[in-house]
Amino acid sequence: MAHELPYIAAIAEAIHEEMERDETVLYFGQNIATSENDPFLQAFGSDRVRVTPISETAEIGIAVGAAFAGYRPVVELYMAEFMLVAMDQVVNEAPRFHYMSGGQVKVPIVLKAGYGFTCGWAGQHTGSIYGMFMGVPGLKVALPATAADAKGLMTASIRDDNPVVFFHHYLLTLEHGEVPDGEYVVQLGEAAVRREGGDVTIVALGWLLGKALKAAEQLAAEGINAEVIDPRSLAPLDTATILESVAKTGRLVIVDQSTRHGSAAAVIAAEVASEGFSSLRAPIKLVCALDATIPYSEPMEAYLLPDEAKIVDAVQQVLGFAPVGV
Amino acid sequence: MPDQGLDRDRLIWIFTQMLRIREFEERVKRTFEEHPGVIRGHTHLADGAEASIVGSLAAIGPDDQVLTTYRCHGYPLALGTDPTAMMAEIYGKETGLCGGYGGSMHLTDVSRGFLGTSGIVAQGIPHATGAAYAAQIRGKGQVVLGFFGDGASKQGAFHESLNIASLWKLPVVYVMENNSYNVVTRVEQEDANAAAGQPLAIKAKAYSMPSVTVDGADPVEVYENVSEAVERARSGAGPTLVESRVYRLSAHGNIIAPPGIPLHFPEHEAITVFGNAEEFEAAKRGDPVPRFRARLVTDGTLSAEEADSIAEEVRGEMQAAVDFGLESPFPAAEDAVKFVYA
Amino acid sequence: MWRIRAFEERVGELTRADEVYGLVHLSIGQEGVAAGVCGQLRADDAVYSNHRAHGHVIAKGAPIERVLAELMGRENGLCRGLGGSMHLVDAEHGFMGATGVVGGNVPLALGSALASRLLGSDAVAVVFFGDGAVQGGIFVESVNLAALWRLPAILVCENNGFAEFTPRSAHTNVERVGDVVAPWGLARETVDGNDVVAVHEAFGRFLAGARRGDGPMLLECLTHRLRGHYEGDPARYREALAAEEWQERDPILRLQRRGAVEGWFDGRVPGRLEHEARTEVEEAVRLARESPFPPPSLVSELVYAGL
Repeated sequence: MAHELPYIAAIAEAIHEEMERDETVLYFGQNIATSENDPFLQAFGSDRVRVTPISETAEIGIAVGAAFAGYRPVVELYMAEFMLVAMDQVVNEAPRFHYMSGGQVKVPIVLKAGYGFTCGWAGQHTGSIYGMFMGVPGLKVALPATAADAKGLMTASIRDDNPVVFFHHYLLTLEHGEVPDGEYVVQLGEAAVRREGGDVTIVALGWLLGKALKAAEQLAAEGINAEVIDPRSLAPLDTATILESVAKTGRLVIVDQSTRHGSAAAVIAAEVASEGFSSLRAPIKLVCALDATIPYSEPMEAYLLPDEAKIVDAVQQVLGFAPVGV
Repeated sequence: MPDQGLDRDRLIWIFTQMLRIREFEERVKRTFEEHPGVIRGHTHLADGAEASIVGSLAAIGPDDQVLTTYRCHGYPLALGTDPTAMMAEIYGKETGLCGGYGGSMHLTDVSRGFLGTSGIVAQGIPHATGAAYAAQIRGKGQVVLGFFGDGASKQGAFHESLNIASLWKLPVVYVMENNSYNVVTRVEQEDANAAAGQPLAIKAKAYSMPSVTVDGADPVEVYENVSEAVERARSGAGPTLVESRVYRLSAHGNIIAPPGIPLHFPEHEAITVFGNAEEFEAAKRGDPVPRFRARLVTDGTLSAEEADSIAEEVRGEMQAAVDFGLESPFPAAEDAVKFVYA
Repeated sequence: MWRIRAFEERVGELTRADEVYGLVHLSIGQEGVAAGVCGQLRADDAVYSNHRAHGHVIAKGAPIERVLAELMGRENGLCRGLGGSMHLVDAEHGFMGATGVVGGNVPLALGSALASRLLGSDAVAVVFFGDGAVQGGIFVESVNLAALWRLPAILVCENNGFAEFTPRSAHTNVERVGDVVAPWGLARETVDGNDVVAVHEAFGRFLAGARRGDGPMLLECLTHRLRGHYEGDPARYREALAAEEWQERDPILRLQRRGAVEGWFDGRVPGRLEHEARTEVEEAVRLARESPFPPPSLVSELVYAGL
């Protein structure tokens, strides 16, 4: 059975259910649990649910230390960019201790951060910077595009014994979706085929999944059948599903809100070029943000970002090329 | 136990641990000369800080926890970690404390409450704070000791952690080992309080936190002050900052060089950078290990023969650690991809 | 103060009408600090602010119509529409930047202060931040260096008791920001930020000292933001101020009352100033609406300098 929830509430539901199930799960961060009516505070008390000052290095470092001591903290960071001041703890501490200690310690933490808020939040609050975290050994990255996945991936992230950066897209915050009742787990490392088709594979991340699906409808009206894949997590990355699809379609378009270099799209493209080259009948096309800081003014902001028209255009380009190296 | 004071056994234990740390560190240092190439990377020794380390650890119990910096060899020794496994780790062997995965800077012994060591200045302070938060929730009266150096007190992580620990009244004692140097920089060159001739403990006022400055060369003074702080933490009254004045007798670490150039320990920066041989000589004269031995012998706690006998045993113990390290095999190369994920 | 108040009130309306786009933080209630501080500064004194910067940039001399045009994303904006509310810059008037990440501006001000000293100038750097920024690591790193190097920097803390949606007591058990910096020996003072005369007087003393080389200093201004953290914030986390209480605390009304008692200006002046301010703001609205949006190609032009 399922119930309808907005994306952001589905994430909270997952955290709540896991905190009920496992008393070692903690939840802290800025601006939470300050009112005695807060549902988390009421349910779990001020030991397990706390507000912190604006101290990301300490917040994440405390999570690591509490994890060493057997707890499973979820840290509310609000925005991906707020992790940047604490990059040492995210990249250099949390994911390395299990390894450096020869397996003695585990760091089962979840860093929850929103991203991509491209609706006038300007240069410092709108980034899609997950590319910075994808290649870090020991660090996992979840990227839900639907309310159901928001719940399922958060549950999986909390249960994972490794540090997980859980990126939720701000433009999806109020998107409603059917969310399964009760325990619901979406494993990290499993992509989802959202639409089947044989002519081209479109891999689309987060908020852009919706745009890719709309583009696919438009293309279908022109007789082009697109297969649309949602990776759901970036580390581990389910390249097998993508390769299987490209083996069928021969053409790949990747849609990513970050800028090209250092993007998830670049990583996926490299994987497919390396492992699936013989399937490709056209070069891989990336539809990414243009290389600039996100500007404030609305027309400029829209200009930079991927949209349906750009996706349709990219598909038509990859279909217009002659096969490569036949 | 702290509130029973230091009886003869305890004093001898302190002396013995100080000797063990000193001998272990000397043997690490000698490995660079006697077996070049065995120790790679960057190694940091705690010779000179033994009184502060052992005096602090004498104040905690078996359920308490400890986190420190990359200058980490002394603490697990006093906590009871097997020195053979420690030396093997420093030598990168399969039998090492962490299987050869971490090396000198990342010693970990969870079974003895030594939870994990970061190599980045100050970043262990939030880890200690988090372990204290866990201890607070668990409610079993555990206390955490978080050690760091004077250099760390300028890092944001120090400020953020102490503020939160004070606000949440976490059961943590922060021990700042102030050895007046941050690699090649003197503390007065980088710290506004030191430049003004003030103790660094004064920083605790920014967090409404009690603090004290102690002579880190006197293990009993360290023990008494850290005990008081540990009691305070255990009672739920919150954290304390203990500034322990120490002097490291070795350089910050071995020289940094690419492969092919033999690594060694240069002279102390007081001499090489500041031309202040007198400061270093004075520190050697005040060396806490012989100083404490002299005190125990003088006040009759220990006879000279007993002291010598302990030293002899310790030498044997650490020789065995070196032998074990040298004889142990390296890990299998393909083990490099293990432990990426739990 | 009236210019800021008129501007902020109008921006609030424009935000609700979606003519001002995105995330906006208004400083209604905190005008006393901006006016008391910036009015005494020169164009070569560098001012840095945070996400709640409209008052500071206006008080520092930025033309109101260009500030509003920036908030409306227009070509004529201070930053040609690229920055928006949280990233206002007016280098010509020494407003070196507003930043959106709490505390990130403090070391920037130290940089300006250092440059001023190296150039042998008596220009100072001023940075505005809130009480929430003080617990961040970046703050104490900055305080130590500013003190160690005796930089001509004046740290102005607008302590309105809230960091976003949380009261100060949830962030620290040290109530006064002045007490947090005390261990580093900064000259410091706490004033009623809603008493613009007190702010002016205290800052004036610090300014004279900083120009002489006595820096750094911290001026803690106790104040109150009347609206939520951002426009649209229902602010359920605190009790709304009763109207009478606000009348008592409003920096503009307080100056009006005091000015009347002390005979500083006659009774018609406040009304005239309000009228002039609102007229100026309306003209700015008209000009901003007429300004075109920047060409989309602008996004690629300013990624790197020198291209």
